[in-house]
Amino acid sequence: MPKDATRAPETLLDIRNLSVDFRTPRGRVKALRDISFPIRRNRIVGIVGESGSGKSTVLWALLGLLAKNAEVTSGEVLFEDRDLLHASEAQLRATRGEEISVVFQDPMTSQIPVLTYGTQMRDILYRRPGLPTAEKRRMAVEMLGKVGIPDPDKRIDQYPHHFSGGMRQRAGIAMALLTGPQLLLADEPTTALDVTMEAQIIHLLQDLQKELDATVVVVSHNLGLIAELCDDVVVMYAGEVIEAGEVREIFHNAQHPYTRALLECDPARIDDVSRKLPVIPGDIPDLTKARSGCIYAPRCQRALPVCRDTFPPDVARGEMSLARCHLLAGPHHDPSWPPPLDVMTVGTGEAGARKPARVKRDDPLLDVSDLNVQFETVGPLRARLKGIRTRHVDAVLDVSLSIAPGETVGLVGESGSGKTTLGRTVLNLVPAQSGSVRFEGQEIRNMPEARFKPMRRDMAMMFQDPVGSLSPRKSVRALITEPFQIHGITGIDLDDEAERLAEMVRLPKAFLSRYPHELSGGQARRVGVARALALNPKLLIADEPTAGLDVSVQGEILNLMADLQAEHGLGYLIITHNLPVVRHIADRLAIMYLGRIVEEGRTDEVFARPVHPYTQALVEGVPQPDPDRRRAHVSISGEVPSLLNRPKGCDFAGRCPFAQDLCRAQKPPHVTMADGRQHACHFPLGH
Amino acid sequence: MLYYLTKRLGLSAAVIGLVVLVLFSLLHLIPGDPATIALGPRATPEAIARYAEKMHLDEPVWRQFLIYIGNALTGDLGLDVFSNRPVTAIIMERIGFTLALVCAGMGWAMLLGIPLGCLAAVKPGSWLDRVTGVLSVGTIAVPSFLVSIWALLIFAVQLRWLPAIGAGEPGQLGDQLSHLVLPAFAIGLSWVGYLARMVRASMLEVMGENYIRSARAFGLHPQRVIFGYALRVAILPTITLIGMGFGGMISSTVFAEIIFARPGIGKLIFDAVMARNFPIVQGAVLVATGLYILVVLFSDILIAWFDPRVRESL
Repeated sequence: MPKDATRAPETLLDIRNLSVDFRTPRGRVKALRDISFPIRRNRIVGIVGESGSGKSTVLWALLGLLAKNAEVTSGEVLFEDRDLLHASEAQLRATRGEEISVVFQDPMTSQIPVLTYGTQMRDILYRRPGLPTAEKRRMAVEMLGKVGIPDPDKRIDQYPHHFSGGMRQRAGIAMALLTGPQLLLADEPTTALDVTMEAQIIHLLQDLQKELDATVVVVSHNLGLIAELCDDVVVMYAGEVIEAGEVREIFHNAQHPYTRALLECDPARIDDVSRKLPVIPGDIPDLTKARSGCIYAPRCQRALPVCRDTFPPDVARGEMSLARCHLLAGPHHDPSWPPPLDVMTVGTGEAGARKPARVKRDDPLLDVSDLNVQFETVGPLRARLKGIRTRHVDAVLDVSLSIAPGETVGLVGESGSGKTTLGRTVLNLVPAQSGSVRFEGQEIRNMPEARFKPMRRDMAMMFQDPVGSLSPRKSVRALITEPFQIHGITGIDLDDEAERLAEMVRLPKAFLSRYPHELSGGQARRVGVARALALNPKLLIADEPTAGLDVSVQGEILNLMADLQAEHGLGYLIITHNLPVVRHIADRLAIMYLGRIVEEGRTDEVFARPVHPYTQALVEGVPQPDPDRRRAHVSISGEVPSLLNRPKGCDFAGRCPFAQDLCRAQKPPHVTMADGRQHACHFPLGH
Repeated sequence: MLYYLTKRLGLSAAVIGLVVLVLFSLLHLIPGDPATIALGPRATPEAIARYAEKMHLDEPVWRQFLIYIGNALTGDLGLDVFSNRPVTAIIMERIGFTLALVCAGMGWAMLLGIPLGCLAAVKPGSWLDRVTGVLSVGTIAVPSFLVSIWALLIFAVQLRWLPAIGAGEPGQLGDQLSHLVLPAFAIGLSWVGYLARMVRASMLEVMGENYIRSARAFGLHPQRVIFGYALRVAILPTITLIGMGFGGMISSTVFAEIIFARPGIGKLIFDAVMARNFPIVQGAVLVATGLYILVVLFSDILIAWFDPRVRESL
């Protein structure tokens, strides 16, 4: 990356020596320190980093929309010879939305719910007073059509809540591109979306970029998305750019130990399904403290004494490639670094021994059969008034599933598939209409709470949001001993129990007196595990156990869960939409679609040879963290239909590339194949 | 929407029925025979009997209740004990004064309170925000009857800018308006504070939402962001508050109308209670309840008009 004053003509945006501080009660957080990189015209540039890396701060800084407690302490951002950091508010406003536009992370909250898309898009065109309103509307309709919204002329008059998540994000892209900006910023554009939607949005962005000759900056923590979409990549860690380069250089020949470790930690890259996942030990450093030397040194496996007190050099490789590390140049240059790609540079904590395949099948711990859960959608009076016949939707339809002690079952599905409802029904938190739920042979479906309460000790739940599910007013000690109090268990020393549990989940004792907001995501997750395991349950239901965790720490939680399982013989039901993760931890997989299990079988077999077209679409839908394995086409189009109008035949028929007349007419029954796999498909793949 | 209106109107009818029941039971629970009260201690037994028959007082209580409901539905709320005039007519004469007072009081509170809260929220910590904060607490804390008396003393007695008592000459709009100023100021003052605080709090919350950041990232003009986007969402809880505030204000009119000697429902109820003139009390409270229910219904419909999500869930 050239740092001289002259700018290459292909540079659209040049960020130079940008530093941003946040004033907080704990002191000044130096969120960005001396960031420099150019963004080349007509390229898709990915900024990748974990939480706290400052990747979003870069984005907001160049829009001039940083939080009020932020302060730009130095630097310039040159956009076509204008310095955006020193532009007036009016100049910035003229640039925003016109020349630089944004696609936001969460389309559910970033579009105002009380205005139609027509109004929102007309507002964006407000700087064209000469343009008649009808013409603005025509432009908006055309753009909505271009991003793939069917029937845009009608849908433009709808409100955001009429759109599904994927459609909202398409509309968000249409809004951003309406004015024909030169630079499009995308902040985690697919993080809030399902796998099949994610693939569609990635391809839409790629196609539009080519068509409109725009320059795109994508901020993401998702290595698969970056590899699939981007031309250039900037890797950030703790407020610094530690490596930059073209996408193939980064993914195939990473120079910085952090980049290398990050890639190794991504479960999607690891083909060897060992029980242990690699992790980068430690946490991101405290950015309020002054630092010396390399910012990554405390966590680096290759750290030398010099790394801790001498600032590492920026070692340039090509025109815009660099990596910031002592190993690459200077007196500490190590010619053997980086090692070949098949050598792991990060450890897994312990030897990665896979748990032996279980031969004898125990009696199942949990046995669910033909379970049906319905939700009432309209009241009886309203149904009568409006002539609605079916007042219920099937959230869970004919589900059968069993979990043996010591077994991990992954329950996979997109949002709205009923996987969380199923988990809650098993815990008797949602009433079921028919079927049976047996726990250790005893029927527990719709058991009265008074009788069920003692059994709750044996069944624990780990909730999705690690911090949000902890009371902010209780200390960690109180939180992890709360289960004892809920169940009125006396005669134990709560302090001893707290220490035992903290040790079990490898949480330092000092953390017992902290409060949830003082914990990092991974630490809060450990507290969640400790709470769930406090009463020695036999079954643990984990709802998205890695949601909100960085790649480098999610391995720690999964390894911890695997250790505890090996030690205590726990049965796990893992509810998730994250296929790469579940592939590493689950013995068996159940794929849910619209409340039905469409395929069930051993994880390795399901991944190797999916039988149901939906499973295949999910497996192929995960973007691969390898730029050479980009997909040429989107394997699945359309969206999950609403439960309110469930298709008559196979639920998946409307989106299935292999659907035939039979599929649209008749619901396929559950079939068990010779090898024990189950599926619900009229025309199973490969048969 | 139709379903919603049906449901709401049904609920409103139930509330009004309950109010009538309570009012009716009160009459029968307090000591004393209504006929004796109405006719005075020196009435002859014949007169009392005649009165009791005319008023259906000899019927069982439940029949009396049904008769009252039936009459009320046809607009007949009974006769004033003293003047023998229909209660409905007496209320109708005065209701306009009360409605004008309540609308004027809430109106000026809204015109001042909502923009103040809005501006305070846009620049939290600015001098305007601080002044608004102090003023809000001040106006909420001071009881409105004290404000009424002080306003009367200062502007009517000392400065002689505005008339002190009455509602003005009938037919002269200017005179009637000048008589409205002081009472409306008195009952609206604390609402300036309430509304400013409420709007400020919900504006602060909405200004932190992602969609406001989106609007700013698309380069929208700050005025459009604040009034077209943020306020449109932030006003929703305030509408509910204003709707309920109307109900509260109908009761504040009691002292305002007494202190400023204005005709109106509040003063009517007060006088009727003092004179044990129960048909008037019953009728006036019923009308006030009906008004309150109507305003709350209206504010709910207004929210539905502002918020498509609410509209469609109706």
